[in-house]
Amino acid sequence: MARFILRRVLLALPALLGLVLLTFVLTRVIPADPAAMLAGDAATPAQVAEIRTRYGLDQPMWRQAVTHVRQVLTGDLGSSIFTGRPVAEEIGFRLPATLELTFVARFLSVVLGVPLGLVAALDHNGPVDQIVRLLSVGGLAIAGFWLAIMLQLLFCMEWELLPLRGRIDVALGVPPGFSGLYLLDSLLAGRLDLFVDALRHLVLPAVTLCLPGLASIARFTRSGVLETLQKDFVLYARAAGYSPFRLATIYVLRNAVTVTVTQVGLLFGALISGAVAVEAIFDWPGLGTYAVQAILAADYKALLAVTLVVGVVYAVVNVLVDVAQALVDPRVAEQMK
Amino acid sequence: MRKLLRDPVASLGLAIVLFALVVAAFAPWLAPYPEDAFESHLLQRLKPPSAEFPFGTDYLGRDILSRIILGTRNAIAVAVAVVGASMLIGVPMGLLAGWRDNWVSDVLMRVTDVFLAVPQLILALALGQLMSPGLGTAMLALSLTYWPFFTRTVYAETRRLRGALFVDALAGIGATPTRILLLHVLPNAAPAVLVRATIGMGFTILTAAILGFLGVGAAPPSPDWGLAVAEARQHLPESWWFATFPGLAILLLVLGFNLLGDGLRDVADPRLRRSR
Amino acid sequence: MRLFAALFAALMLFATPPAGAQPRPLVWGDTLPATLDMHVVFDVPSQFVLLNAYDGLYRYQGNDLVPWLAESHTVSTDGLTWEFKLRRGVKFHDGSDLTAADVVYSFHRLLALKRAPAAAFTPVLAPENVTAPDAHTVRFVLSQSYGPFLAAMPIVAIVNPRAIAPHVKNNDWGAEWMASNDAGSGAYVVNAGNYQARVALDMQRFPEHFMGWGHNQRPIDQVRSRPVMETSTRVLSLMRGEIDSTDSYLPTDQVERVNRNPRTRVAQDQSMRVFLLRMNNSKAPFNNLDVRLCFAHAFNYEGFNEIILKGLVVRNAGPNPNNLWGNPAGMQPYKFDLALARQHCDRARAAGVPLNREIEIHVQTELEQTVQAAQMFQADLRRVGVNLKIVPNTFAGIVTATAQATTTPDMWVHWVSAYFIDPENWVGQMYDSRFHGTWKASSWYTNPEVDRLLTRARNSVVQAERQELYAAATAIIFRESPDIWVYNTVNLRGLTRRVQGYSFSPVGSGGELRLMSLSE
Repeated sequence: MARFILRRVLLALPALLGLVLLTFVLTRVIPADPAAMLAGDAATPAQVAEIRTRYGLDQPMWRQAVTHVRQVLTGDLGSSIFTGRPVAEEIGFRLPATLELTFVARFLSVVLGVPLGLVAALDHNGPVDQIVRLLSVGGLAIAGFWLAIMLQLLFCMEWELLPLRGRIDVALGVPPGFSGLYLLDSLLAGRLDLFVDALRHLVLPAVTLCLPGLASIARFTRSGVLETLQKDFVLYARAAGYSPFRLATIYVLRNAVTVTVTQVGLLFGALISGAVAVEAIFDWPGLGTYAVQAILAADYKALLAVTLVVGVVYAVVNVLVDVAQALVDPRVAEQMK
Repeated sequence: MRKLLRDPVASLGLAIVLFALVVAAFAPWLAPYPEDAFESHLLQRLKPPSAEFPFGTDYLGRDILSRIILGTRNAIAVAVAVVGASMLIGVPMGLLAGWRDNWVSDVLMRVTDVFLAVPQLILALALGQLMSPGLGTAMLALSLTYWPFFTRTVYAETRRLRGALFVDALAGIGATPTRILLLHVLPNAAPAVLVRATIGMGFTILTAAILGFLGVGAAPPSPDWGLAVAEARQHLPESWWFATFPGLAILLLVLGFNLLGDGLRDVADPRLRRSR
Repeated sequence: MRLFAALFAALMLFATPPAGAQPRPLVWGDTLPATLDMHVVFDVPSQFVLLNAYDGLYRYQGNDLVPWLAESHTVSTDGLTWEFKLRRGVKFHDGSDLTAADVVYSFHRLLALKRAPAAAFTPVLAPENVTAPDAHTVRFVLSQSYGPFLAAMPIVAIVNPRAIAPHVKNNDWGAEWMASNDAGSGAYVVNAGNYQARVALDMQRFPEHFMGWGHNQRPIDQVRSRPVMETSTRVLSLMRGEIDSTDSYLPTDQVERVNRNPRTRVAQDQSMRVFLLRMNNSKAPFNNLDVRLCFAHAFNYEGFNEIILKGLVVRNAGPNPNNLWGNPAGMQPYKFDLALARQHCDRARAAGVPLNREIEIHVQTELEQTVQAAQMFQADLRRVGVNLKIVPNTFAGIVTATAQATTTPDMWVHWVSAYFIDPENWVGQMYDSRFHGTWKASSWYTNPEVDRLLTRARNSVVQAERQELYAAATAIIFRESPDIWVYNTVNLRGLTRRVQGYSFSPVGSGGELRLMSLSE
């Protein structure tokens, strides 16, 4: 198993290096010139050129690339040229926000998706199955940004039930803690009021974000259960009088684990992308909106770092998924040689 | 095909897609006010739905129904172009990588991993800055990030098939690998690719709409649906129709493609084939 | 299942916990600047930090420039030597006294960093020429006399060298530390521990502020700045009372609704911020006067200002805001007249000007008005046979493109905001060819006579003379129609009704917290 994990990690490394280079090329060929922005309105071209020199923007591209890779390898993500703060610190604020939202959304997808898939499979091709299909496929079809706005109008404006924006009420302040995950921090600090408030803020963005994953998970659970129900030993058990429901729940648990694990890995990258619009609408201070701001301002250091962090998170999640799968099903490790 | 039609949900999907295709083909004749693709009528801006304008008018007084009809073409064109381009890149790479376990295969799959790890929207936003933002840029960015899904699908299918008896037999009688891959493996992988492509259509339309919403998709005055929702958000909730109808149009078409893809998957999935 | 229902009900009904003795802090929903270092950034959002955490020698109150840290100033007749007498007893946030040496340090830092706020000073001021003859006098000796010098004074934040000193790294003037901390003397103190760039800035009242608090019976103690990214979310949050203030560019379509809401209102104040469509005068077809006049008559000013923007702006004839001095008397704005536009365009075509190619107009996607103006213009230009193509862009992208005449787009849409209240901020920096390569001068207009007039106005310190020179230059520019000037902004800031004492200034759009209070 250790060799398997090692191999999996080693395989992820070249992909990360590739990602670093790809994003570097991408960000450096963007024509927007940060120097012009830094120099200000009345700056003459000479003043702009001076700033360009100061930030090394006038160096040939390959030299900038080498400098960049060397910095990244030594763990230095650099400072944002606009905010003047170390990018690592800014991401340190933003990453927990995105992770918390992502995890809760993913949790909702699983908690709702697995039972839906189960009932659909038990009523294979019956009315319940068709309705669940329509709903779950519909979940994949809704544009998150549109749903987000509609939810705001209903739950916040019309019925005044939930907060509109942010992670926690401004008057309450930030829960004390190390992780930056408000739910965790507030629980550890024993602040139930903060926990509930943070949860209330999470409801709408998480519901919006969970839909695509929910649809896939329901879908996979359904086919998994159907497959299980066709197995010979299950057919015997059914003949022996076990109800399909009981059988399905016995096998569905293991199935749900495998399915969920795979889906988490596959959807994680997409989730972070999908989060951009939802983060913007709910004013969620996460990585997605950070990336958008970086792009709009041509803040290339920030953009490079964000892409790298997202890439690393993606790679780590996928390695974990593979390992978890190998644990659940040793044949997977076998296939990887 | 007959099997597909027996499935009510899938045939609903098929009906939606066919309907959208008809609307797209005859858009300029179907739209009540085809000139509203670019015209503006300030005096009738933000009018609620009425007999004259069934879906109301937008912030420049343009008929929203007409613009939704005209925008159908955009949506379908983007989906077809992106999925087509992704298949052109992804399918050959999957065949090549799946055929033999060697360094070529390793390199190809690692490149695939890199592109899977690039957040799609970030790539699209960056490309939008690089070239002027527009539908072309959005399509390029979407193609660049969608092809790995085809590579993975075809890779898995090729690996499954390469051990099959008939492949060994073909190799035995002297068929070249190219011939085997193109004439025998590819047709067998086609159902999986078809399913992936149909789902991809829906996915692409949705992502293109998000890009339009974030300002890196279609350029105004294009009747693009995502763009319309983006333009409408400042006018909520007063002018609810401005955001609602384009949003519903996105929902309906994507739903159509997804239901169709879902039905196709049921038909194509060999594991479920026995189930009925 | 019952558990879920209970949890759901709890979530829905558990509103914010019972309010304690503390009143809800003021929540400011306007955009935050990228950094708190006021010597590095200078844009509209930075004014909020500049006005509240820092003080300058002079400050704008309304449209007027008033002595602030300075009590008074004198200027030599040649306009080169400026002396400022400092107020006594001014304390920094750390309790130390603000002296002339600190002012000198602040200018040295500004001029060494050479970033945006320094741009106005570097051409005329060398660091060694800022000196402190005594503890309460600061002397500036300019290399060339500069009329807007005093008007630009509020740009410069006076910082506390003793607070910065421990944090200086590699000769960086403490830049990294200053990005997220405050070293000022302003009416509010930054809580650096909670600061998150562009996301959250908490401030509390500085009771020892030199202006005292006698003017305000119920000053606000706690301020939380929480910028809201999306316009729709911002408006909704205001109406629900989650934030107390929007930015000052509320969409005009929302004004009526915000005013109707019992909890909120809109503060409307005529600002100095000119909306215009630019033309690249260095290239065909806009190097031809007839084409420019054709375009100037093809824009539906009334339709845009009165219908789309609901009359919540003021038609502006030229580049200077009409409520500023230095405008020629009786300047009649261009009118929407498609017949006249067609005549001009036909004349240009007859002279061989290539008007058949697509003209590109770059808009700032995130700013809805630029997109609406371009779409409306596009529809009207079709009627005179001109094809306009709308290209989505960002401010950063456009600023980069306008560095060279060849890369500058045919047209682009933007505003020129009030950074300091002087015609130099508008006509001076927009049409003097010495500023070519900056976005403000991006129409690449060249006229030696205008250059001469604007240079003289810039170098004079005699107000009457400057007024005449700017008016003369503006009259010529107006006739040559290098750009399409549309309106002067009325700032629209949504506020909750509990916010009292909000007082507007074109510089900083009324973000001075010192003057505000909360009624409960």
